[in-house]
Amino acid sequence: MIEVTGLSKVFGAFTAVRDLSFAVRPGEVLGLVGPNGAGKTTTLRAIAGIIPPTTGQVRLAGHDLLTDPVQAKRALAFFTDEPRLFDYLTVRQHLNFVARLYAVTDHEKIATPLLEELEIADRVESLPAELSRGMKQKLAIACGLLHSPQVLMFDEPLTGLDPLGIRRMKDSILKRAKAGASIILSSHLLHLLEEVCSHVLILKRGEKIADGTLAEIRARFGNGDANANLEEVFIRATGGSER
Amino acid sequence: MSHTIASTLLYLRLTTIKGWFTSRLRRLKQPKYLVGAVIGFVYIYSFFIRNLTQNGPRRPGTGTVAEALSFVPDIVAALLLLMIALNWIVPRGRAGLSFSEAEISFLFPAPIKRTTLIHYRLIGTLTTLVLTSLFLTLASGGWAVSGMSAWLRAVAWWVVLGTVSLHFTATSFVVTRLLDRGVTSLARGALGIAILVLAIGVPLVWTLMSLPAPTQEDLAGLPALARYFETALHSGPLPWLLAVPKLVVAPMFAADARAFALALWPALLVLAAHYAWVLFSAVSFEEASIARAEKRATKLAAFRAGNLRTTALKKLRDPFTLRDSGRPETAFLWKNLVAMGRLFTPRSALVAAAVVAVGCSWLVGADLRGGQAFVAVAATVVLPIVLFLGPMFARQDLRSDLKNSDILKTYPLDGATIVLGEMLAPIAVLSVMTWLALLAVTLLGPGEQIPAYVRILGALAVGVCTPFFCALQLVIHNGIALTFPAWVQSVSNHGEHGLDVMGQRLLFFAGMILLLALGLLPAALGAALTFFAVSWLVGPIVAAPLAWLVVLTILGVEIGAGVRWLGVRFARFDLSSELRP
Repeated sequence: MIEVTGLSKVFGAFTAVRDLSFAVRPGEVLGLVGPNGAGKTTTLRAIAGIIPPTTGQVRLAGHDLLTDPVQAKRALAFFTDEPRLFDYLTVRQHLNFVARLYAVTDHEKIATPLLEELEIADRVESLPAELSRGMKQKLAIACGLLHSPQVLMFDEPLTGLDPLGIRRMKDSILKRAKAGASIILSSHLLHLLEEVCSHVLILKRGEKIADGTLAEIRARFGNGDANANLEEVFIRATGGSER
Repeated sequence: MSHTIASTLLYLRLTTIKGWFTSRLRRLKQPKYLVGAVIGFVYIYSFFIRNLTQNGPRRPGTGTVAEALSFVPDIVAALLLLMIALNWIVPRGRAGLSFSEAEISFLFPAPIKRTTLIHYRLIGTLTTLVLTSLFLTLASGGWAVSGMSAWLRAVAWWVVLGTVSLHFTATSFVVTRLLDRGVTSLARGALGIAILVLAIGVPLVWTLMSLPAPTQEDLAGLPALARYFETALHSGPLPWLLAVPKLVVAPMFAADARAFALALWPALLVLAAHYAWVLFSAVSFEEASIARAEKRATKLAAFRAGNLRTTALKKLRDPFTLRDSGRPETAFLWKNLVAMGRLFTPRSALVAAAVVAVGCSWLVGADLRGGQAFVAVAATVVLPIVLFLGPMFARQDLRSDLKNSDILKTYPLDGATIVLGEMLAPIAVLSVMTWLALLAVTLLGPGEQIPAYVRILGALAVGVCTPFFCALQLVIHNGIALTFPAWVQSVSNHGEHGLDVMGQRLLFFAGMILLLALGLLPAALGAALTFFAVSWLVGPIVAAPLAWLVVLTILGVEIGAGVRWLGVRFARFDLSSELRP
């Protein structure tokens, strides 16, 4: 469960996110969309505990991120658009390191099938520099999933993946949601969100302009067209511009 | 080069320079950069500019000194010739020009002639050398012996640097042509050596044969020696070989502005000839330029990440087995030891200790006094270097991991745990290095003056204090990195240099020394008070260990408080907003 209440983030005189509230229940996949500069990444970084919010409250799996950050983060996996890896650790060493941090006992039993699912089992002794961008992304995902998180957040997860990788990633997200994880997925690929997400939150200039199930969003911005796709809905909702 | 293209490339160059200056000026809005710039300016003014302006143009030296320095131009020309000759022999890759990745992306596919690209790059290089020349003029102000102004000396530096740079580029072009014709690197190396032997060796032998050996009179003093060298450089074929290099360096040694003007034109002609040589060398430089740009980008990224090792990464074995459960700090120690390389493992430390112990015992057993003294002195020199400079260079802590702060902050750990874990590897490595040096000093120390038990107890006392001392310094270094991340190269917000950055580094160093002194002061005062009080009450045998315990306790408390503060700071730390202009 992800609960966000009155979240704001201010950088100097610039308000990146303003009074944002929403919740993602277990099994739900929330698509976070918005034009460039809408505050999607800032929102995700604040919810992941990377940057402290200026105001507001974030609860992950029942733990307050500000007052009990360690327990809150124990339930979390955050996947950035650019995989952040340690240059000198091999794939195996990355998983070993992460297993110790999250106290994943007997981690190899979890890691081996995970690496096979992500199709990098044959690269366990490779350094990040020897992996393609897509493989690096897969390694980051393997590290994130090793401790079976209840809360998953993806910032542009499909960047660098091949078509098969995209297909597998979508399946993987749905599989985790079915297993009861709460998931936030930020992407500009609206057709992906349409396929994977149960809910959508549209941000513009740091403010929420719509939030609900896909059907609810369509009903509000579809101009009566029940079959309007998310792209059309998005353009109508945001007015077709960043400003 | 068409007018449109030329003006476009000029626009690119000028806007890039303008952008660079604007970004530096904009940064000065932040007080920390402004302070850095002021300190940098004061430093440059105090040490360089004031000397130039106060002393004014220097008069040529007189008497024996002037006489002794009269052969310097010949020596510099000879060195220049040697450098050029070596450049022909040392294996180099294919011809490549130093384009940035952005320039390659935009300019290579653009409808621009290859010669235009070469013009663009060469002019860019020569422009960059203006700044280098100004710097070298400031830095070498104290060496000036001529009566020329600083500006003229800067021009002279530029001519020399520009000619050498163009010659090196031309060399790579010629090499590429040879490679394209099937001449291998080995064959080229052999050819180069042959040329060197012919160009340097033969004339040298010729000169030596035609020059009488130095007599006692020639070696009587600096002026006499100078005269002998001058004679040597004017004997045999050397004057002919040095003719062109001497033309290039001549403006640097002109006695006054008039002589400079006379010397400048031949030097500029040599430079222009080199420019034409590069321009009309019809070789393919694109592929090597791309490879060079990629290599430079990788090096820059590694340098910004605080990693001075820029060669290809190697798979490194685990320093020890990391179990799935236990303190998370150990995971950071393990990770950073992996990054430090295969030498830094507990096993290597034990092997090194065994080597030091056995080696020193052997030196003592064999009564090799000279060897003992050498090793003891070397270890004594190494000790303070490791203790005081080690923490500055052993950067496998938060300083090299700030770029990963986003991912570190998602771990279920409090900030202090992350900070402490990150610092463990440098503490361990520096402590082990210190202990090895201490072991050598203890085993080889002056046994006659200091009894063995005193040496052992002293070494143990220092050895136990070592991790505390290193940790205190690392707290300061990491504290500065977290407080002023843009000052730290690991997260440098473009890896640029400038007055403000120089000032910041000076301030950084001074601040570090001050903080270290402040950090050690309570421990020193506490230890002194304890020692004198307990000595007076009980005696020095009890006072010394108690004072030592006081030092450890105070340092431990300070380190604990420092790590806790760094943890809070790290939790609030946002790299992206810290580096926001």
